[in-house]
Amino acid sequence: MNRILALCFLLIAGVLAYLRIDSQPAWSSFKPSFEVASQSANEEQTKTKLPISAPEADWLPDTGAPSVHAASLIALNDGTIRAFWFAGSREGAPDVVIASSVFHSKEGAWSAPTVVMDRVRAERGLSRYIAKLGNPVPARMADGRLQLFFVTVSIGGWAGSSISSVISNDEGVTWSKPERLITSPLVNLSTLVKSPAIAFEDGRIGLPAYHEWIGRFGELLRIEDSRVIDVRRMSSGRGAIQPAILIDGQEQASAYFRQTRSSDQAKEVPVSVTKDAGRHWQIGSDLPIANPNSALAVISLANGTRLMALNNLETGRYRLVLLMNNGRDNDWSIIQTVEDDEALPDLQRREFSYPYLMTANGRDAHLVYTWDRKRIRHIYFSGAWLEHAQHQMALLEDKTEGLKQ
Amino acid sequence: MTNHLQTIALLEMSLTCGVFILLLAQRVFQTEFPVFVRILLAFLIGNVFFWPLGLSMELPLAGYVRGMMGDLSVVTMLLLWSSVLPSKPIPLGFKITALIAACAFYPFALGFGMTDPYVWGYSSISLLAGVLIFALVCGLAGWVRGTWIFALTLLAWSVHWHESMNLWDYVLDPFLGLWSMISILLAWNQRRREKARSGFLFRAG
Repeated sequence: MNRILALCFLLIAGVLAYLRIDSQPAWSSFKPSFEVASQSANEEQTKTKLPISAPEADWLPDTGAPSVHAASLIALNDGTIRAFWFAGSREGAPDVVIASSVFHSKEGAWSAPTVVMDRVRAERGLSRYIAKLGNPVPARMADGRLQLFFVTVSIGGWAGSSISSVISNDEGVTWSKPERLITSPLVNLSTLVKSPAIAFEDGRIGLPAYHEWIGRFGELLRIEDSRVIDVRRMSSGRGAIQPAILIDGQEQASAYFRQTRSSDQAKEVPVSVTKDAGRHWQIGSDLPIANPNSALAVISLANGTRLMALNNLETGRYRLVLLMNNGRDNDWSIIQTVEDDEALPDLQRREFSYPYLMTANGRDAHLVYTWDRKRIRHIYFSGAWLEHAQHQMALLEDKTEGLKQ
Repeated sequence: MTNHLQTIALLEMSLTCGVFILLLAQRVFQTEFPVFVRILLAFLIGNVFFWPLGLSMELPLAGYVRGMMGDLSVVTMLLLWSSVLPSKPIPLGFKITALIAACAFYPFALGFGMTDPYVWGYSSISLLAGVLIFALVCGLAGWVRGTWIFALTLLAWSVHWHESMNLWDYVLDPFLGLWSMISILLAWNQRRREKARSGFLFRAG
């Protein structure tokens, strides 16, 4: 009798599980960030532009903490920019908090910093012990709310990380209780975020994440509210983390990674590509730009131009450059050396790391990065300046082509 | 929704800790308590883990255990809980299957190659069919408790009982794999000893 009851119950459970699978949303195409403007329109803008202002640099507000890191940005509905970063006595310390501030572009000033999340609030909300907090990455949900993904660690170093998220209905002034994302079958350990999320046509979020414990590889998490509904591997093995995605079309995208290879392998930027909106990824040829095992940032502008910020070195993080690509070929040119301590003796060189790029209107670019682990630097590249740089780059390419012929 | 999920998870972990400590005590003192006493003790110890104890702790004890271990799979949890009740021993076939599944699954799920079996846990009919067939075989082979456990596991996954949306997180965890391996090794060692002993008894004089 017990066996018959158990088998009947199994049948019911099986039917419910099938219905659950049947209700899984179909995979969707990528939602391009901006409609690509025509080249002629872009040239017209360049001709009629106002005087070109040089990149404007300032600092994110001081929280009083001696160590800050991992800044990220998102555009708010009122045209301002909100930044997030973590600050504490040192990286990985229990007193690290996730701080936030708003940049008012008209006044060119940052608001006083506020605390979005601290360790105790995170562990009370998640009902589990949290030892430290890490990288915050904001995203815009389809219904307009802000979602902030952030890293938490309960045990061990960063390899023991998991991702949690909070949601804001008021552009980041107040936040919901944190919720945990389950991303790994091994005690949900070792998943982190660093790079901006992408959007799918169906409104769901694609979050580039990475593992760095047994394997070091990238993954695309498909997220509905605060739950992971699918995961796709973007690289494998132990050589590529922190994927940053550039959407090339509704079905095409490229991912650029921070390399974590052994010393005998190429210190260049690993690349993966997808041709089916992220369902499957293939490892491509490296981008021939030096990468010293440090994070990089990429964005696309509305005219199809791409920007990348990274340390173009094989060792050290003492130089940070901004590169540009026209979106048609694989050539990247340096348009601005943001920081460079090469002239200094080794011991005096500072670290410029964890760049994060964002565009507010599709023409300009905001760059934030960690400045010697003590402060967060913000640089604004105006649309006119970037268009001028693009024009200069095109002239240089024409000249090089001419010399070759 | 979050509060509801977190409370359930804390309750489950508290009871799991209660049962684990009870089983450990039975092993240490080499005794077996009556069923009623076992249930009562598991419940009492579970309460100690569930309620905030104050002192300098920010969370109940179960919250600290969750931080270290994450949430157990539903299969592991039900196996552990049901061991308090009088029942047949867990068949060796189940342990071997769990061990093989863990050995085949974890290396690929943790980054070896571009094929990720963890993805199947979101919407794979094949994985669901595999679990259903295994549960059916458990029932037909006489281990009805196994059928109940897998049926409850599928039900839990269908209604999003835990934070995870992935079926793998409901049917398998590293602790189940580890326990299966140790159990198989202990069973193999015991069989070897018994064989050696019987060989000694019947050896020609």
